[in-house]
Amino acid sequence: MPELLIRNGYVLDPLNGIEGERMDIAIKDGRIVESVGRKARVLDALDMTVMPGGVDIHSHIAGAKANCARMMRPEDHSRDTEAKTKYTRSGVGHTIPSVFTTGYRYARMGYTTVFEPATPPLKTRHTHEELNDIPIIDKGCFPLFGNNWFVMEYVKQGRIEELAAYVAWMLEATKGYAIKIVNPGGIEAWRWGRNLRHLDDNVPNFDVTPRQIVRALCEVNRLLNLPHAVHVHPNGLSEPGNYQTTLDTMECARDFRREGRTIMHVTHVQFTGRKGWSWADVRSGAPEIADYVNAHDHVSIDPGQLIFTNVTWMTADGPAMFALFKLAKTKWFNADVEAETGAGIVSATYKKSNYVNAMQWGIALELALLVKDPWKVYLTTDHPNGGPFTSYPRVISWLVSNQARQKLLDKINKTAKRRLNLPGIGREYSLHEIATITRAATAKSLGLESKGHLGLGADADIAIYDIDPRKLDLAREYKAVRKAFAHAAYTVKDGRIVVKKGEVVRSVRGRTFWTKPKVSDDVMKTMMTGLASKFDDYYTVRMANYPIEENYLTASQVITTSAGV
Amino acid sequence: MRTTPKTTLQDVLCTFCASGCDNLEITYEGRVIDSARNGCAISVSRFTTADRSRLLKPLVRKGGKLRPTTFARAIDRAARILNRAKYPLLYGWSQTSCEAISKGIELTELVGGLIDNTTTSCHGPTILGVQDAGEATCTLGEVRHSADLVVYWGCNPVHSHPRHTNRYTVFSEGRFRRTRKDRKLIVVDVRKTDTAKLADRFIQVEPNGDYELLTALRTAVNGEEIEQDTIAGVRVETVEEIAEMMMECEFGALFFGLGLTMTSGKHRNTEAALALVKDLNYVTKFVIVPMRGWFNVAGANEVSTWQTGYPYAVDLTQGYPKFNPGDTSAIDAMTRGEVDAALVVASDPVSHFPREAVKHLLKIPVIVLEPKRTPTSEAAEVVLPSAMLGVEAAGTIYRIDGVPLEAKKVIDPPLGVRSDVEILDAMIKRVKKLGARR
Amino acid sequence: MADLAITVVRQFRIPITAECISPDSVAGKSLREIELTQVWEGNRRVKLGSLFRVAGEIGRTPKDCAIKILGDVSAVRRVGYEMSGGSIQINGDAGMYLGERMKGGTITVSGNAGSWLGTQMRGGQIEVKGNVGDSVGGSVRGGSKGMRGGTITIHGDCGTEAGAWMQNGTIRIKGNCNIYAGIHMRNGTVLVERECQGRAGAQMTGGKVIVLGNAGGVLPSFQFEEIRERAKAGDERIPGPFYVFSGDANEGGKGQLFARVPDNPDLKWNERYLER
Repeated sequence: MPELLIRNGYVLDPLNGIEGERMDIAIKDGRIVESVGRKARVLDALDMTVMPGGVDIHSHIAGAKANCARMMRPEDHSRDTEAKTKYTRSGVGHTIPSVFTTGYRYARMGYTTVFEPATPPLKTRHTHEELNDIPIIDKGCFPLFGNNWFVMEYVKQGRIEELAAYVAWMLEATKGYAIKIVNPGGIEAWRWGRNLRHLDDNVPNFDVTPRQIVRALCEVNRLLNLPHAVHVHPNGLSEPGNYQTTLDTMECARDFRREGRTIMHVTHVQFTGRKGWSWADVRSGAPEIADYVNAHDHVSIDPGQLIFTNVTWMTADGPAMFALFKLAKTKWFNADVEAETGAGIVSATYKKSNYVNAMQWGIALELALLVKDPWKVYLTTDHPNGGPFTSYPRVISWLVSNQARQKLLDKINKTAKRRLNLPGIGREYSLHEIATITRAATAKSLGLESKGHLGLGADADIAIYDIDPRKLDLAREYKAVRKAFAHAAYTVKDGRIVVKKGEVVRSVRGRTFWTKPKVSDDVMKTMMTGLASKFDDYYTVRMANYPIEENYLTASQVITTSAGV
Repeated sequence: MRTTPKTTLQDVLCTFCASGCDNLEITYEGRVIDSARNGCAISVSRFTTADRSRLLKPLVRKGGKLRPTTFARAIDRAARILNRAKYPLLYGWSQTSCEAISKGIELTELVGGLIDNTTTSCHGPTILGVQDAGEATCTLGEVRHSADLVVYWGCNPVHSHPRHTNRYTVFSEGRFRRTRKDRKLIVVDVRKTDTAKLADRFIQVEPNGDYELLTALRTAVNGEEIEQDTIAGVRVETVEEIAEMMMECEFGALFFGLGLTMTSGKHRNTEAALALVKDLNYVTKFVIVPMRGWFNVAGANEVSTWQTGYPYAVDLTQGYPKFNPGDTSAIDAMTRGEVDAALVVASDPVSHFPREAVKHLLKIPVIVLEPKRTPTSEAAEVVLPSAMLGVEAAGTIYRIDGVPLEAKKVIDPPLGVRSDVEILDAMIKRVKKLGARR
Repeated sequence: MADLAITVVRQFRIPITAECISPDSVAGKSLREIELTQVWEGNRRVKLGSLFRVAGEIGRTPKDCAIKILGDVSAVRRVGYEMSGGSIQINGDAGMYLGERMKGGTITVSGNAGSWLGTQMRGGQIEVKGNVGDSVGGSVRGGSKGMRGGTITIHGDCGTEAGAWMQNGTIRIKGNCNIYAGIHMRNGTVLVERECQGRAGAQMTGGKVIVLGNAGGVLPSFQFEEIRERAKAGDERIPGPFYVFSGDANEGGKGQLFARVPDNPDLKWNERYLER
């Protein structure tokens, strides 16, 4: 692999405390090194900002529900196509791009790592087939545990060690990265057409509560020493006012906090950050949630920014999707997964004139602006639920520029504008903070030690953007900011230049990250005996056929941890 | 004399229909499969007669006859045919692995052609229905655990998916439904099939009257008045009774097949069924699952969708994916005489396509990848013998309900016979070497 | 009006996509430029001039362009795509997607036309002397927005799903019509002067389907309203009398289906719902 030297760039590397210094970055064999030889290729990054490649912690890009959405929405694709080129395969957008297009579009924005945040274990082979096909980016996926029969039974019986062994086995079997919980217990209730709204509701036929499920899995997460926190989508998403459940969920596992690391990440909080009793009356719960996050170190959040455009809602939260479909009256797709979880998909359009949509847009921004520590709040649109990931540059422009926000505030539903706190918030993100919430903090949250920074030994995943904050007033020139982040001047992946001036010039294979906690043999043995005795009763596939072999992943990257069990 | 030991493999997936029975026990010795247990009669035949009617050597047509040749020569001839073509069709795909289908899409994009799979003559209308109405579905285990009402509409699983009722519906045992008595079965069909004989209620619908009957059921479920006395041969009182059964159940599951997809209305029939289930979800829990035929037709849809955005009938002739069944679909393009070369993978269109389409297929150069001799392979210009997936080659397939499963390699293919993946890979390399002109 | 003649020089088998055959595309160009325009013949890029002989005059603006196509262009797709004015006259059979997303101007076809005629049309007029295929004035796959303005007149017979997802405008079929005329329509008018195969107005939420011949029955999700003397189609008042049904009840629809009484004896049983 040729050596590469990036010279004269304005470097932002929050994890290593570099807040804008003119530095050279040397790359050899796909990693960042101290120096390189005279024969190294030189990239001149004069007047440009150099930062680690983007790390997206939550984006629904691959797997059964993404594909069902693609299949259901040909009209989403026909207006957004990409012809093949010398370096790229053809494909389609728009809200649910095909796999090749997904990788290229992320790379064009300078992103180099993306995680699929919700995969049903029984169908995770599908998720990996798609992840394998997504070019350039490194990736991983989070298997769903919050409505799993085995999990609920272990929780009911208080068998935490076996639960830990089960989760460890599942992570290896599915080649998954972290524990994901969506509407704990609620999707099991949806088997009977019902849902759960609060942490202490009872799961029909299992006699456990969401609180117990969440707490048990947080305890397991700590026991297994997993690199990421438990990733949670709380109950109550389809209720007009649901912020209290979010707060209760955050609070319920506080005692499982880990030293220096969060124990719970609550995702797309804009969807569960509403106050009020009815849709006409929805208010922002952002201040309360931000206050909580500001005061506590065991949680982190991502807002799931809403964009005023046509979107596709896709989530494991089947019952919430049906509830929202009844309001949207568009197309609805549902797919329950035996003994595990579910999925729901609805097509929708967010309008500025719509009161609730405008409130949600504002709530998301309020969350990002009121949480003081950029290490606790990450940039997402919960793609494609809030908006397509290609909107990230637009979101960045709103965060760095109050002027940009005010301009849009003038166009939204007037009642919403009155009721939001957003008009009065003047905070503007610095580019360093943007680098934090789009790469440094997310890599840290995920426990990916070689990503999200430019220190020695880091993976040479680098984004170079054609803006220089020393010469540009970001707040005034927010359009230039948006343009720069939409078309990276250069994207480097594993030391290879893959994007130049926003175009893909080379396609490479990314790696799939997964976690393998090492649990003690006897606990594992006990768990396996119990699992084998019930597997055929619960599933319609044989236990021997359930696990995914490591060589199924085109390029596997395992992270082992030693468990305290 | 040295004998090869007898080996038994457990938990083998059957690769015939899309039911995904993965608990087969196969015993074999060398290349001979002695027995296949735990499956249906069709699976026994699939495994134990693997060697019948096999194509064993690559063939090319010379002087009007198919003659044996080397693999390299056959690949070269195939590559030239595809490179030359202005509107080639790559068809079949439902009886091979996802890995092979992925190669097929790559090849199609390279040569600029159409790629279509057997969905086009089977459950294409289902997908079109979903594109208008959405779908409320689940994996088959959910039906086994929870369904107290099962409806089979326009399909005959006793014959098409022999183990369906045992594994997933009325004769299965689930967590919440333990015996046959815990479930009710309704069968809707134009005649009393063997599946209908198992039903608690059999509804005989007039041929091509399914759309009217589904509409009437929707009307009853939605609490509206039906003014007709009879709908598609069914009395309105019966319609109301069936609607009531559907609304009163705790968890209903509707399975449907070609009786809906291939009769008058096609995708509107499936849309009506999908909409009926959607309407039922306002009052109870109800799901719908199409009875997919070939063991990996669902996989062909999946791979095609994630790579091109579209599930079948994909047009890559202009460098980007387009989709419009009726235009870009195999049978239509063939019938209009537009296709000027074809690659057929594990499918027999000469036997199954309508006459006008076959007439044209026989006029153009056809490349066939196929394990066994078929009328299509007999008419081909190039024949590449391939391994049987799930018997002689491993790969991923998708069950009816979208659950991905691994087909195993049990025995070696006959000497010199390669897997579809290997063949397509060689073809891609050769096409690239010969140089794409566009 | 400047006349541009585009004459077919050989028989086409392989599909051709030629969106450039449209007033908006040719306006202001020279003959040479038009001949050099690239079109698709299957997977090959070819010059328009290799498929057609191009002669005559070209207007400066779309409104001033009158294109005459001579020969069998049934294999040529997307003629008149998004045109905003001027005219296209096809002396022969026309292909698929004719006049898709048209905004204005006129298209006339002396022969038959393919499916997806006038998809998502917004204005202007299309007239076909022969028969047409399926999905006239409809929507794209998976979409819910069909034609929303303009008029389509078909002298011959029409395939299935005429006016699918229609939002507004008028489709007039002088011949017979296959099943599902007006399916999912929201507004606008579909008028069928001869017979319908059935299922007219299926899943409609508004608009009207008027059938002068036999309608092929009425769906069970429709309610009989009354007998009316006349049916209104735009400014025209068509003499009946008509059985009038409203539906589709399953979509909460307020659409109307008119079936002329003398041609629909199979609907006579609805008269029992007439108020005495």
